[in-house]
Amino acid sequence: MTAAGAIRCVWLRYFAVFHKSLKYAIVTTFFEPLLYLFAFGFGLGPMIGTVDVLGTRLTYRQFIFAGIVAQTLMFQGFFEAAFGSFIRMYYQRVFQAIAVTQITLSEVLWAELIWDTSKATFAASAVLLIGVVTGDFSPAGALATLPIAFLSGLLFAALGLLVAAKSKTIEEINYPQYLLIFPMFLFCGVFFPLGNLPVYLQWIAWVLPLTAVVSVIRTLTLGTPLEPGVFVVIPIWLLVLTPWSRRAMSRRLVK
Amino acid sequence: MLSSAAVVVHDLRKVYQSSGRPPLCAVDGISFEIEKGECFGLLGPNGAGKSTSMNCITGFYAPTSGDVRLLGVDVHAQPRKARERLGTCSQEDTLDSDFTVLDQMIRYGTYFGLKVSVIRPRAQALLARFGLADRSDDLVEFLSGGMRRRLQVARALICDPEILILDEPTTGMDPEVRRILWDIIGECRARGLAILLSTHYMEEAQRLCDRVAILHRGRILDCAPPQQLISRHIGEEIVEEEIRPGVTWKRPPNLEDVYLKLTGTHLDVGESE
Repeated sequence: MTAAGAIRCVWLRYFAVFHKSLKYAIVTTFFEPLLYLFAFGFGLGPMIGTVDVLGTRLTYRQFIFAGIVAQTLMFQGFFEAAFGSFIRMYYQRVFQAIAVTQITLSEVLWAELIWDTSKATFAASAVLLIGVVTGDFSPAGALATLPIAFLSGLLFAALGLLVAAKSKTIEEINYPQYLLIFPMFLFCGVFFPLGNLPVYLQWIAWVLPLTAVVSVIRTLTLGTPLEPGVFVVIPIWLLVLTPWSRRAMSRRLVK
Repeated sequence: MLSSAAVVVHDLRKVYQSSGRPPLCAVDGISFEIEKGECFGLLGPNGAGKSTSMNCITGFYAPTSGDVRLLGVDVHAQPRKARERLGTCSQEDTLDSDFTVLDQMIRYGTYFGLKVSVIRPRAQALLARFGLADRSDDLVEFLSGGMRRRLQVARALICDPEILILDEPTTGMDPEVRRILWDIIGECRARGLAILLSTHYMEEAQRLCDRVAILHRGRILDCAPPQQLISRHIGEEIVEEEIRPGVTWKRPPNLEDVYLKLTGTHLDVGESE
């Protein structure tokens, strides 16, 4: 068994669980982004008309669809990693069970992150597909988004894993959910252009990872100008969170 | 010197470092070997370091110092190779509640790189031997505590191990089921498995173990075959024990007397320090 084989083997465990409850999984994975798409894209969109993003005119529906792709990555990646890995670590002890077989804990945690990322990317692909069907995204733009979607999913999965590792009880995960995830959802450019905010809030928003993810996804799907900040913010968060979350979970399990 | 024993534990130490608290030495330099076909018992009060030792031996915890070799392979340097033929049943319930009884046996086998076509018949045979065949399609949440424990031991055997590590395997089992497990452990030993067993039950240790180590505060106080420990520390004389005021009981000395004598004495010494 190679390290990649070991990670794949654990990933297949996650997939088997997902597959067993496929109906439920599909409802939870697709239903939520669809709600946002319909409420904001079709409901609110006609009232707003068009939005100017750094000189590019977009319909509000296009604007919000791209935002929802990013938001889906964040919610799916974060929640699967935060609540899911807490349950697997604390209640099911799945990590502990696997890490005494031929597979090491390091590989188990890679599989966890890659699974959470896969699930987030899968859900975001569904939103991209809907955008292509409604004619808001070009197929090429949607395809080009996939790699960055995977990296962004990994970023939020690592954030979730870190939160799970640092939470004493499952209720404690609610703190970062309300204090970090929901504020990002509301203030990082998903619903309105960041330029509408006071400058100091724009700066705070740009430090948070979702703003850069929203920005780069709008560039790839809709051709808005590329903002150089994304090349700084996304790599830094990824390079900090990925090893930090793995180390934190490892320390939580291995005394 | 390389030993041919299946399990070699050499001068194993584990110190827990946690911020704001003094370091805690849970395992303080223990050494022992387990031969193929030998059942080795770890006995000790709660907090003696049994589970910590076992977690270091499976390679799950990194020891502070010392070596653990499984079938000649250093478990911390090469965990994958060392654990190829290692079956582990931890003290905590680690059954995967997302899978049915049979499916999780099969799934667990894949973690050892085994093909499903190889694992499935093996899993079915194990479930039959453990009296769980008729529960194959049930989720583990519908099993009783004793059944879950049995399933976890059965799962430890899915990789066809040469070394079996059982951390308090019979906790929560009724006497009848415990006897089934004792028989199975006996069969494993007869097949040449090296078995490391920790238990609270003295009768179990006395019955199953070829050698027993009494562990206290991270150190091995003594290690020998049960009968030898008894004659060394208690003697051969019949023990008279007052079980209730006015009711005395005469019985041969057993491992419990050794355990209480050794760990009790040391407790007193510890308190007077």
